[in-house]
Amino acid sequence: MTYVALAYGFIWGAVFTYVALIGRRVARIDGEIEDLRQRVKPGL
Amino acid sequence: MLSRMPSAHKSSTPFLVGLLLTMHGFFVVIFLVANAPLEKTMGIVQKIFYFHVPCAWLLMLSTFVCAGGSLAYLFRGSERGDRLAVCSAELGVLFGLCVMVTGPLWARAAWGVFWTWDVRLTSSLLLWLILIAYGLARRYGGAGGRRLAAAMALFAAADVPLVYLSVNVWRGLHPTTKVVSSLASGMRLPFFLSLAIFSALWGVLLTVRMRVERAQARLVELAIAVEDAEGKSS
Repeated sequence: MTYVALAYGFIWGAVFTYVALIGRRVARIDGEIEDLRQRVKPGL
Repeated sequence: MLSRMPSAHKSSTPFLVGLLLTMHGFFVVIFLVANAPLEKTMGIVQKIFYFHVPCAWLLMLSTFVCAGGSLAYLFRGSERGDRLAVCSAELGVLFGLCVMVTGPLWARAAWGVFWTWDVRLTSSLLLWLILIAYGLARRYGGAGGRRLAAAMALFAAADVPLVYLSVNVWRGLHPTTKVVSSLASGMRLPFFLSLAIFSALWGVLLTVRMRVERAQARLVELAIAVEDAEGKSS
């Protein structure tokens, strides 16, 4: 039973970690877009 | 120019809906797996099979998609193909990691050892390592890194038939490919549903990862355009 729980837990953990990493990447890109927007705004 | 700004999360609703649906599907699968009949010789540890095999299937699918995208990039210069390749390689590494962890756990309970240099295990490890090398070549390979990585993806795809057929050609400890067709009737529904749910999750993750990659590429283009414009005006 321990091995089954470990195997299932690992897969769930790995998928959630991956989704969190994508979320962090999205946040970073949004930050960079906002920086660019601020730079472009004065002259449009 | 402001209207041309990309957004990484502009349409995140389909992603969230897809993710929630697949998560819901996982709960159904876990319920079905818990109620599936126990395998006679291995007992409860055989239930790792319901997640291990779909992960192995996604490792192989990711490799083929990565090779397809790489072919499009190598022979037609397709940037979209290149993006598809890098995203699917990443998913191949993720699901390959799941295979490399769940397999030894199952092996420890069934064979008494975490690892043995069986052809199926070795060729799967090799496939996973090629996908990791693909990512490293792209990141640290310099100017030609993307083309080098694309060529490596073709090698990875050539390894997939070896991984799949190895258990039938060289009989080792690992069960053959016939194990799926010989499943007991009570095990078929949880297994095939698990396979479908994992494939759906893979599709959702690939779609959102492609969007992020596209937004990143567009952002780089715009940043260069802004710097050019600023250089001209000063």
